[in-house]
Amino acid sequence: MILPLLDAASQFDPVAEFTEFVSNPYVDLPLGLDINKAVIYIWMAGILAVLLPLIVIRRGLKPRPGAVQTTAEAVYDLVENQVARSGLPEEGMRTWFPYVATLFFFIWMMNLIGFIPLPFGDHEVDLWGLQVPQFQIYAATANLSVTLALTLMTFFIQHIEGIRYNGVIGYLKSWMPSGLPAFSVKSAPLIILIGIIEVISQLVRIVSLSFRLFFNLLAGHLVIAVFLAIAALLGGGQLVFWPVQILIGLPMGVAIFALEATLIAGLQAFIFATLSAIYIGGAIHPDH
Amino acid sequence: MALDGNVENAAKALELGLATGFGAIGPGVGVGFIFGKTIEAVGRQPELRGQLQGLMWLGFALTEAIVFYALGMAFVAFSIA
Repeated sequence: MILPLLDAASQFDPVAEFTEFVSNPYVDLPLGLDINKAVIYIWMAGILAVLLPLIVIRRGLKPRPGAVQTTAEAVYDLVENQVARSGLPEEGMRTWFPYVATLFFFIWMMNLIGFIPLPFGDHEVDLWGLQVPQFQIYAATANLSVTLALTLMTFFIQHIEGIRYNGVIGYLKSWMPSGLPAFSVKSAPLIILIGIIEVISQLVRIVSLSFRLFFNLLAGHLVIAVFLAIAALLGGGQLVFWPVQILIGLPMGVAIFALEATLIAGLQAFIFATLSAIYIGGAIHPDH
Repeated sequence: MALDGNVENAAKALELGLATGFGAIGPGVGVGFIFGKTIEAVGRQPELRGQLQGLMWLGFALTEAIVFYALGMAFVAFSIA
């Protein structure tokens, strides 16, 4: 017997799920400003990141907090003390704490929405004669464009703030490690070499910051998809190797799903925001 | 001996598995090291637990990301080869 859902899963290509949506957007706009699945997910995350804190505030903050307020306070405390204060110096807190906190909430929401199955599939499934869009899990942060845009924002803020607080010369000097010999003919090659390495290390930050978030979410979703689809992929839509398919694929998929949704989604948002705070703080106060 | 069957696809599958697997060795050791050292440090100074945990998660994420560089390069090689 071929189960309809398993049949659909047997034609499932994990990688295509993360690339196909670009070529069939919902609204086709010029200049690549298409409204596709990723854009819808970003909008949902943005709305949630604004609405959830707003609802908590509008409910009224009580001196004896309930469960919702306690959770909100714990998250705020985490963002302020663990994320922002670990990197930003005191004079940068006022300006850049809101940015870092927004990064945290926005990325967290994008990651979390990515673990709720929503009917945004690229294909329709024939479910006992009824055409329904596939329910699927998809995260906007599993796109390099999204994470790269956030990373570039941090990158430019870091350098603009560094120049604003230290001046161009002072900021460029602060990249060099302390203890270098004074600039002379003899030490020039060494200083130039170290300068080149430091410039490269600044540029590599763009890659490391964006790739970390992107591949964590992409790989997480792929692994979940592969384990949950093993049930169907092995037998071509039929339960041939059913002990392997059901007893290994399903529990592993659910376990990875739980790990990703509870730990990785929050952790990656935390890391991205913390590193942004450290980079910006390091530019404001080089010796900090 | 002539190889028959789809050698190209087999090689691609091997490439993806090997690259990701070898790439996961180092970060695996590193992540274990980070958690172990944090446990050791908390054992010595339990009052610093909060600060150490923040550093631990930072180190964990920085180390874990190295797997994804290997995975990313493996995907690139998988799709262009």
